[in-house]
Amino acid sequence: MLEVLTEREKTYTKGVIKEREIDKFLIGGRDFINDEEIWEKIGKNAHPDKEKVRDIIEKSLEIKTLSPDETAALLNVNDPELWDEIFVAAAEIKKKVYDNRIVTFAPLYGGNLCVNNCLYCGFRRENKAIKRRVLTLEELRREVEMLAGKIGHKRLILVYGEHPATDARFIAEALKTIYEVKVKTKNGFGQIRRVNVNIAPMSVADLELLRDVGIGTYQVFQETYHHETYRKVHPDGTIKSHYQWRLYCHHRALEAGVDDVALGALFGLYDWRFEVMGLLYHAIDLERQFGIGPHTISFPRLEPAANTPYIQETQYRVSDADFKKLIAVLRLAIPYAGMILTAREPAQIRRECLPLGITQMDASTRIGIGAYADRYTEQESERQQFLLGDTRSLDEVIRELAKMGYITSFCTAGYRCGRTGERIMTLLKTGKEAIFCKLNAVLTFREWLDDFASPETQKEGEEIIKKELKEIKERMPDNVYQKLLEYYGRIKNGERDLYF
Amino acid sequence: MGNGTSTFDIVQHFSEIAGRLKEDFDAHVWLVEIFGRRHSYLAGEKEDTFLPPEIIKISDRYALVSSDWAKIPIQKRDEVISFLKEFL
Repeated sequence: MLEVLTEREKTYTKGVIKEREIDKFLIGGRDFINDEEIWEKIGKNAHPDKEKVRDIIEKSLEIKTLSPDETAALLNVNDPELWDEIFVAAAEIKKKVYDNRIVTFAPLYGGNLCVNNCLYCGFRRENKAIKRRVLTLEELRREVEMLAGKIGHKRLILVYGEHPATDARFIAEALKTIYEVKVKTKNGFGQIRRVNVNIAPMSVADLELLRDVGIGTYQVFQETYHHETYRKVHPDGTIKSHYQWRLYCHHRALEAGVDDVALGALFGLYDWRFEVMGLLYHAIDLERQFGIGPHTISFPRLEPAANTPYIQETQYRVSDADFKKLIAVLRLAIPYAGMILTAREPAQIRRECLPLGITQMDASTRIGIGAYADRYTEQESERQQFLLGDTRSLDEVIRELAKMGYITSFCTAGYRCGRTGERIMTLLKTGKEAIFCKLNAVLTFREWLDDFASPETQKEGEEIIKKELKEIKERMPDNVYQKLLEYYGRIKNGERDLYF
Repeated sequence: MGNGTSTFDIVQHFSEIAGRLKEDFDAHVWLVEIFGRRHSYLAGEKEDTFLPPEIIKISDRYALVSSDWAKIPIQKRDEVISFLKEFL
């Protein structure tokens, strides 16, 4: 594999991994994923009795992280009635921790150059069917003008492959560029207020570069937690073949002061129950070593990609029924974490999974490089990492959410006022963050309705806002409600970015 | 950071200050480290009173945040800010 790399790529590949930044986190020379132990726990907790499962549900409703044994027991439930109880509890937990708001965001693919060669990925180095491109800073600016000025997004996840042309310095410049864009809208202005990133594992020094320019959440998916499968799908000689470099990148981010990190696994590479356990062990180790668990968890399923036959060959594809189970178990196992369901999934599946504890969704999603400014609406497999299941507009998604009783939130307040790290953990675990979620959802939704909504969505949106204001008045102290009304009025008059 | 102090020292000192502000004035105050738009929590109160946060910059790198500044006498607030300015 290395012989097809350019000299620059070879030098880069050799210099990325720093063993000393892994070793310090190992326990007795081992990482925290013990494959045998995970299977042993799944086996040991087969056929859990009803009482035991109900006790576990109760613990979860107290917003306590479940143990591996407890999680394994949930994964082994066979009784459909018990599953219904788990699904109901998942919805209740989400409401307790985040209230009825759904945060929306958009992915922004900045470049698809990659030195890795992952068998399941459309962007893998040896895939000649993909058109390679990295957006210039000017092109990036145009994408953001569309996202913030025409669609109304406030939060992005910026995505890059792993390549010397898009290293930490480049990404830091990209972040600065995105934050600079400010666009006039109908009644105010549009701006991206939080840029999360989905990029390669980095060293502490590189993560400090991103920290210094105001990175939002640092999101890296382990893809699979199963060591042997990981080795199989990430060919030798690539940076990504180093399991532990990837596994401990969130630890390094926390060490670098980036105190919002996001986990994920690509479901379909290995047994879904094992991956759920892997995510749990990951969260537990972060809590143990830093007192800070994952800000969000993602659980994408493998989707078709151009010239990527591995996806059709895998024996671990996750059915819709199991997908719902894994979402609900994750919600119960790590009850404080945000959970992201992306437009990889078709609209109907997103509709059905939403009540199982989802907190964030993307919409108006385009994953081709430069796709927002190009305004193309058809999917083009040679420009995309994979094919999307849901291409609905943000306006359509928001309208549907409102009809379902959810308020869309564009809140980005937390990381701008110190609701991060240990502090956000405390607020989430005590159910207090839900109060901020509701207040800021009302304010940011007001902004979006006034700037971007179609008449049909405006109508649905006004109804949900009215309901939310009434609920806040009944539930919250009067001084909080009065302050909310003051901010709400100021936003209606064109002010923007007021928050609690 | 001034006076050869470490982040650990800052966290220790400020945790004590925040504890006293909570005890004496029922005010929740926390210290953040500024990284562009990101204001990362460093030390102090983890509870909140659900009003808009007001940020007071101590230096280019640090700021105090609270929704309860009105509860703290101005003289006391200035004293805390001066102390931190010297320390950070």
